[in-house]
Amino acid sequence: MAIPKAQRWLLVALVLSGAASAVSGSIDPYFLDVVMGVGVGVVLASSLNLINGFTGQFSLGHAGFMAVGAYTSAMLSTVVAPRMGWGAGALQWVFFPASLVAGGLVAALAGLAVGAPSLRLKGDYLAIVTLGFGEIIRVVLQNVDAVGGARGLTGVPTHTNLLWTFGTASLTVYTVWALLESTRGRGFLAVADDEVAAEAMGLDTTRYKITAFGIGSFFAGVAGGLYAHLKGYLNPGGFSFEKSIEIVVMVILGGMGRHAGVVFAAILLTLLPEGLRELGSRSIPNPFGGPAWSLDWIKDARMILYSLLLILLMLLRPEGLFHRRQPRRPSS
Amino acid sequence: MTEFLQQLLNGVLLGAIYALIALGYTMVYGVLRFINFAHSDVFMLGAFAAWVSVEKLGLPTRSVPGGLAALLAAMSVCAVLGVVIERLAYRPLRQRSTLTVLITAIGVSLLIQNVAQSPRLGFGPNPRAFPELFPSSQLHVGGLTVSTHQLVVLAVALVLLAVLYWIVHRTRIGTAMRALSFNATAASLVGIDNDRVISFTFGLGSALAGAGGVLYAMNYPSIDPLMGTLPGLKAFVAAVLGGIGNLPGAALGGLVIGLVETFVSGTRLSTFRDAIAFGILIAILLFRPAGLLGRPRVEKV
Amino acid sequence: MSASASLLQLTGVTIRFGGLTAVSSVTADVREGELAGLIGPNGAGKTTLFNLITGVYQPTDGRIDFAGSGTAGRRPFHLTGLGIARTFQNIRLFPSLSVAENVRVAFHRHLRHRAWHSILRGRAFLAEEAELAERALELLGIFNLERFRDAPARSLSYGDQRRLEIVRALATRPRLLLLDEPAAGMNPSEKDELMRLIRFVRDRFGLAVLLVEHDMKVVMGICERIHVLEYGRKIAEGSPAEIRADPKVIAAYLGD
Repeated sequence: MAIPKAQRWLLVALVLSGAASAVSGSIDPYFLDVVMGVGVGVVLASSLNLINGFTGQFSLGHAGFMAVGAYTSAMLSTVVAPRMGWGAGALQWVFFPASLVAGGLVAALAGLAVGAPSLRLKGDYLAIVTLGFGEIIRVVLQNVDAVGGARGLTGVPTHTNLLWTFGTASLTVYTVWALLESTRGRGFLAVADDEVAAEAMGLDTTRYKITAFGIGSFFAGVAGGLYAHLKGYLNPGGFSFEKSIEIVVMVILGGMGRHAGVVFAAILLTLLPEGLRELGSRSIPNPFGGPAWSLDWIKDARMILYSLLLILLMLLRPEGLFHRRQPRRPSS
Repeated sequence: MTEFLQQLLNGVLLGAIYALIALGYTMVYGVLRFINFAHSDVFMLGAFAAWVSVEKLGLPTRSVPGGLAALLAAMSVCAVLGVVIERLAYRPLRQRSTLTVLITAIGVSLLIQNVAQSPRLGFGPNPRAFPELFPSSQLHVGGLTVSTHQLVVLAVALVLLAVLYWIVHRTRIGTAMRALSFNATAASLVGIDNDRVISFTFGLGSALAGAGGVLYAMNYPSIDPLMGTLPGLKAFVAAVLGGIGNLPGAALGGLVIGLVETFVSGTRLSTFRDAIAFGILIAILLFRPAGLLGRPRVEKV
Repeated sequence: MSASASLLQLTGVTIRFGGLTAVSSVTADVREGELAGLIGPNGAGKTTLFNLITGVYQPTDGRIDFAGSGTAGRRPFHLTGLGIARTFQNIRLFPSLSVAENVRVAFHRHLRHRAWHSILRGRAFLAEEAELAERALELLGIFNLERFRDAPARSLSYGDQRRLEIVRALATRPRLLLLDEPAAGMNPSEKDELMRLIRFVRDRFGLAVLLVEHDMKVVMGICERIHVLEYGRKIAEGSPAEIRADPKVIAAYLGD
């Protein structure tokens, strides 16, 4: 049976991730770490794009859901797996993805718990409520000793590899795309455009928004699991409101509700800080003789540039950097 | 009982500071219908302005005139900053969507924080000791302990609230502010210069935030570039609690948040006190979205 | 026709916003297959009545029955599912969707596929999508809009946007179609065409139409029965000829 075109792309992406993973032993570990960070960023940005971009909601709590998934899967790996003897060998290949899915599901539950009551709020109110939920999650994590409290959770096995990160990234992008490319899925955009008209056309807008929150949070949770098993430790401070903003900026830069643009923005914004940090540790030779010019100031200016970029983007190109001006291609 | 009164006093003082910040959020929301995320950073800069005027410009410490001068300096710096921020970042976006403005506000907030954190351009990331602006001693009244700093907080907050009330209700510009928040189009039709009123509102709100920053720093001996975030969010919650856009509501909300936080700090839940404000926010938005003193709005179809 | 054939029945419907009574004790009905009109001076409560019928507002008092059952407490999307569709006075298309997508979204209540089918993209799903695309074109064809199918909805002319709103409403397969000033902004020849089309869709789909319209030529030209509102109260009901001759209606329009 012929595989439809869309799934063929997904398959190609999965095979490539597997192949890259197989040769990853020969890749510089620092570089590998950065590249996997890119994969996690793509999962986060694409899933938030479903909520903020396509459905027109404004969540500022994505890092909170990521934290829920990260802690869930990390606890499964550090507490449950060793006790059951599942951590090692071939079983790891079953248990690890299962723990990622479990993290995703718990995050989705958290997303539904947040989404269901707060969805009658709009715009900036919703933004603040989701921000509040994200902060509550962080404060709770900081206060629960069983997960390490403010010290953080250490000793998470580093199971994450290129296959898992890019496999998940491909699946996330595909799922969001496929969901939208259907008559039912076009409803997400309709809800974003005009809720009153969407209800009048028979769309249960609440259900659409909850679905977006549930699916978006699920993938945020999976991304959290990947992150936990990539870094090997977790710290509640890493899931603060600044992290949520970082993901929001990826979605905005990519042009709110553009599949490829957001993926591209996620890649760019994950690499950019790394690149600038690398650049900042170098110096350029002084053409007039004398001591070499240090580029140390770049480290300092990194976050300043980042925030200036955000402001300028809103002033000059609020539709995003990668927004195509022609209309979106009609579906199927 | 003494314990309770002591907590009540502390709560009221903290609440007064939240009220000062909350008023800025609410005033801006009143005229522009958006949440000025950078407000909490203006609050932080208020504390730093007072610090600079003492540590770098040599205003005397532990003296009433010196303290008042530092306070006024902080308020003026913040007022100017508020006006500049509105002019450069928000005014060009007047006709854009709420989200665009909100994101810009987040950008401005990040920019201020990062410039302040930069060792070259700002103050560096490390906390700094905040000088004692006013003469400091402990007074004992009955079983209660009150520091002179706390009295200063109370006095300054009350004076500022009175001045604000006077401006809003007894001056031309205050009347224009109320007209604008009631109906912007109608206000401009009757000859009110909306841009000027909005500038004034930002200046006024930012001055109050600057005063709040100084008062806050006086009771927490160190200051740092990220100190604004949490008090800012809590003050925002206070504004929503009271009914955003409603001035007495913001003052009331600030008081409630200050009291709740102080009383929770005295219990076993003290480590959760930062989450409490958000809990209140969520409950309010779900059960009474218009806030305690606000009026619900009906969407027009 | 007897009152038992009422598709929509309003009984003593009242809504108050704060101290303002926008609609006061209105009793009216629309019969199966009828072309009914709702007229009245500006601010008489016509659009508010539409919002009450479609569930956007809940009446403070009185009741609304559609096809024999009460609509109290039902949300707009639910009522659309039961067969009430509407257009809006201030056009509310989905600007980021194409013309054809605007129509397809309105098929929502009748979709067979679930969300996860779109992820698996099986044969049945793709077949249904193809079928829906065709049905959307068919509906667009009635209003001569099929050539714009891939254009963004916001790029259409004002008159075409009004027509597209009617197509979109028809896609929900209504039994009752509420049109809020469908002729606004149209020129005389467009208005004639619109009247023809409204009659045509009523006959073709066998639905009832209730329209709010300021253009008396349109209202008198196609409505079989007209209800008149003034200050939220119903002041008259009858055939176009009766309404034209009614002294209360004349007073309402000309002022006392």
